Amino acid sequence: MFKKNSGYLSLGLGIILLAVGLVLLKTLSNPQGILLGLPYVCIGFGCGAFGHGLGEIINRRVLKNEPQLQKQLDIEKNDERNIAISNYAKARAFDSMLYIFGALMVAFALMNVDIWAVLLLAVAYLFIVGLFIFYLNKYHKEM
Amino acid sequence: MKNRLEELRKSRGIRQEELAEALGVSRQTIGSLENGRYNPSILLAFKIARYFGASIEEIFIYEENA
Repeated sequence: MFKKNSGYLSLGLGIILLAVGLVLLKTLSNPQGILLGLPYVCIGFGCGAFGHGLGEIINRRVLKNEPQLQKQLDIEKNDERNIAISNYAKARAFDSMLYIFGALMVAFALMNVDIWAVLLLAVAYLFIVGLFIFYLNKYHKEM
Repeated sequence: MKNRLEELRKSRGIRQEELAEALGVSRQTIGSLENGRYNPSILLAFKIARYFGASIEEIFIYEENA
């Protein structure tokens, strides 16, 4: 039920966020702090949700009368080789991400970027590494 | 790992698309299996073996140094 209506929900949420963002942009006369960027965040998320919802609705409508196409798409999605390729690609990208984020943290520190930005990046980096270790242990126990 | 998939498929006059549909995989997977570029999971190997009425060893050839 939720999946069936998720396109409309996403579309509605997108329109609301977009409207809120535009209203905030017009009404806030002298925004300070978080309010300075909030309208743009709302507009950004609104556009994203709107596009995602519209895409899902169109996709659902097109596939409704094409059961053969739907079946083919399901096969492509669940195909074990496609899943294996996707997992290999993700693993490679993750390995690269560790080096890229590490270099980015050093670069930010050398550029004298605000300490909170560097710390947030470092925490996010460590969180991702923590998640990696968590899943490594989990799958070691399961397999 | 080498296999006799292409040989078996052709001997039965089946197209890659038909085999893929019967096994619930993409045509590209069948192509990759036949070329030896991709080794199937044990589940897919069993499905293939059942489809051709043969054992896994009769279709997939294990080589020690491969």
